[in-house]
Amino acid sequence: MTSPKTILIVDDSRVSRMMARNYISQLHADWRIEEADSGEAALLMVASVSPDLILMDVNMPGMGGMAAAEQLRHSWPAIPISLLTANVQTATRERATSLGLGFVEKPITPARIASLLDTLAGA
Amino acid sequence: MLILSELENDALIEIFNIGVGQAAAAMSAIVNEAVLMSVPSISFVDRREAARLLDDKDPDAERICGVSQHYEGAFSTKAILMFPEDKSLEIVRLMVGEAVPLEELTEMEQEAMCEIGNIILNSCVGTLANIFQHELHGSLPQYHVGTSDEILRASGSAPDTVVLMLHIDFLLERHQIQGYVAFVLDLSALHDLQHQIGRYIARAMGQD
Repeated sequence: MTSPKTILIVDDSRVSRMMARNYISQLHADWRIEEADSGEAALLMVASVSPDLILMDVNMPGMGGMAAAEQLRHSWPAIPISLLTANVQTATRERATSLGLGFVEKPITPARIASLLDTLAGA
Repeated sequence: MLILSELENDALIEIFNIGVGQAAAAMSAIVNEAVLMSVPSISFVDRREAARLLDDKDPDAERICGVSQHYEGAFSTKAILMFPEDKSLEIVRLMVGEAVPLEELTEMEQEAMCEIGNIILNSCVGTLANIFQHELHGSLPQYHVGTSDEILRASGSAPDTVVLMLHIDFLLERHQIQGYVAFVLDLSALHDLQHQIGRYIARAMGQD
């Protein structure tokens, strides 16, 4: 039995947030899910939410997901962050890897979310 | 008008074929059903002719919805994904499933179409960037509704702007929904694209 986790979903698309939330809830009904619609909002929320995992969209208005992830990585190095993006470019993956970020390709599917959460659930 | 050699034209079709294959996989994952896609055929036409070609493909669809994104990097282009307007809600329904009430679904239709466009266009363009080994930076997706010409005009192109018209038919087999993708490039962008194709061919021949 693992303790319930807290996931912070950061995505400007309400549909994507809704889908990620549904897939996570289906797998772990007792986990807490918080949402932010921008990188800036995520930076403001992270201290109060204390997430065990941050799912971060890349292409968002404002500072964007990559810059937000970079700042979060600097301020909160222990929190795992996975980029959630339709950007399949090698350069983006390499940048994510160099920052120690995970990478989940959009579209979000139950299998992709399950695979991401497997590691976390065992912790 | 830009003239491509036979080899360049062949390489261009092959590159977009790979990109479109990725887009089809993304589309299939969104709607959870098989997506058939035609082999892309490519033509360089002006905006008016491009609109006419689109109208000819589906004469019954008076209005279409389009999601566009501007890309900069290896070459500049505006990529536009288009569907008949009356099918857009059906596509969004396929994406989110039956759980969401119709009222809420209608409310989020534009936003959901932007996200679908973002995923499909990035799958295609991202693959092109990987093949060209040169990054392409994309803008946020924009949603448009109108006739083919209005959609292409909304992309910022003048009537005589050259449009690299990619004729790709997406077909969602069970739902009989067809979509199209167009790439709008000006003359300078076309030359950049030709340069990237040249480098790709050189690499393929072991000359780079």
